[in-house]
Amino acid sequence: MIEIRNLYKRYHNHHGSDWVLKDVNLSFPRGVSVGLLGRNGAGKSTLLRLIAGMDSPGRGEIERNCRVSWPIGLSSGFQSSMTGRQNVKFVARIHGGGFDVQRIIDFVEAFAEIGKAFDEPIKTYSSGMRSRLNFGLSLAFDFDVYLSDEATSVGDRAFKAKATQAFKDKVGKASLIMVSHSEGILKDLCQAGVYLRRGQAVWYDDINDAIAAYHEETTGQKA
Amino acid sequence: MSETINGATSARSPWQVTRSVWYAMFMREAISRTMADRLGWFWMVAEPAAFVLIMVAIRSVISGDRLIVGADFIPWMIVGMMGFFMVREGMMRGLGAVDANRALFAYRQVQPVDPVLVRCFLEGMLRTFIFLLFILGGLLLGLDIAPDNAIRAMLVWGSLWCLGLGLGLVVSVLGSLVPEVGKVVRMLSLPLLILSGVIFPLNHLPHDLLEYLMYNPIVHGLETLRLGFFEGYKVVHGTSMTYFWLFTLGVIALGLLLHVRFAQRLKAK
Repeated sequence: MIEIRNLYKRYHNHHGSDWVLKDVNLSFPRGVSVGLLGRNGAGKSTLLRLIAGMDSPGRGEIERNCRVSWPIGLSSGFQSSMTGRQNVKFVARIHGGGFDVQRIIDFVEAFAEIGKAFDEPIKTYSSGMRSRLNFGLSLAFDFDVYLSDEATSVGDRAFKAKATQAFKDKVGKASLIMVSHSEGILKDLCQAGVYLRRGQAVWYDDINDAIAAYHEETTGQKA
Repeated sequence: MSETINGATSARSPWQVTRSVWYAMFMREAISRTMADRLGWFWMVAEPAAFVLIMVAIRSVISGDRLIVGADFIPWMIVGMMGFFMVREGMMRGLGAVDANRALFAYRQVQPVDPVLVRCFLEGMLRTFIFLLFILGGLLLGLDIAPDNAIRAMLVWGSLWCLGLGLGLVVSVLGSLVPEVGKVVRMLSLPLLILSGVIFPLNHLPHDLLEYLMYNPIVHGLETLRLGFFEGYKVVHGTSMTYFWLFTLGVIALGLLLHVRFAQRLKAK
């Protein structure tokens, strides 16, 4: 469903430019949720941005034959001087909402449960409120693949449960590619795993094997 | 790259996607432009009005003898000033457009060129509306500000809009990649006001100097705009709309090329 072939990516800066991703070949099958693992700076978010189409690869190609969300996470996607409602309206419109815009707004308002803050500017939000809103917004659209970049990490217990439930309801209809450092949620939601290390990606059919490989690297370095 | 919502299975065409982005962005920009500031609407009209009053006061104190051939001073200045603001605001709005909408590039449908186009369009609409208000107000006050050749006035007004768009496109890319460009552009705006002949007629300047000043395309646009308003107006020697349009098409092409070339870098920043 998503094919990545010979993907290279680097960012240019003043001190030279190393490859963040080097010759990544992956194929995400339909309906399989995948967890991305790796240390900070291993290129997880970069890979997610590339899959989302926010950024273009240096070399290689990505083929998306399905509807892919934007990377749902803390930092991206909201204009901080606009209110939550205005942001939701904007996103609904660019996705061609038409007459559905009001329905989408109602859905997000109900899902996010942030009360009156919905009509306050985003810059007054806490990170938890922001992720509630971003998460609710992405669920208002029927994507085939949802990309999550630590979207659930700052939510409180109730919200985590709600988000997990929302994704479980979508099993069979949609899948998930998620970056997370909480292994519980990865084991809960994902079947397969990808482990990123020094720009290389390794596919594991079982998420537990990917987690084991990740543990091996981190403990190996401590010793 | 297909994007659909809620069961609608047909993919949208690139044009449909772009149109919905422009629509969404126009609504967003229109609200933040007119509602965000306190008294936003008021200042939009009051700023040029105050400007006219100050200039008229200064002119009546220092010299009343420099007559403009074929036009009264106040309408002459209002027309020039409105035309100049059209270009300048097109450029200034473009300058901040990319940075102000950076967060929205998270959605792959939104390209860096979209906010620039939308802002220039919105600014043109607002400026046109304000200009009409000024013409109406001027007529009520008994000024001779009705355009004698309305077709020409409207065509040149549209041309100035295009020049503002072209400059906006160029500075939006350069200003985001090289922040110093933004500072220089802001600094240039005041001398440009004088060099474009908004306040003082350029006819009185020596010919040697004028030769260089006429490289500034805004002069050509403003003089022709005034010709559209005042039938007997004598434009500055060498005014040419051909030069103006060559310059305008040049900057629009350059601006679009810059956007194509640097789109990824603008998004990634």
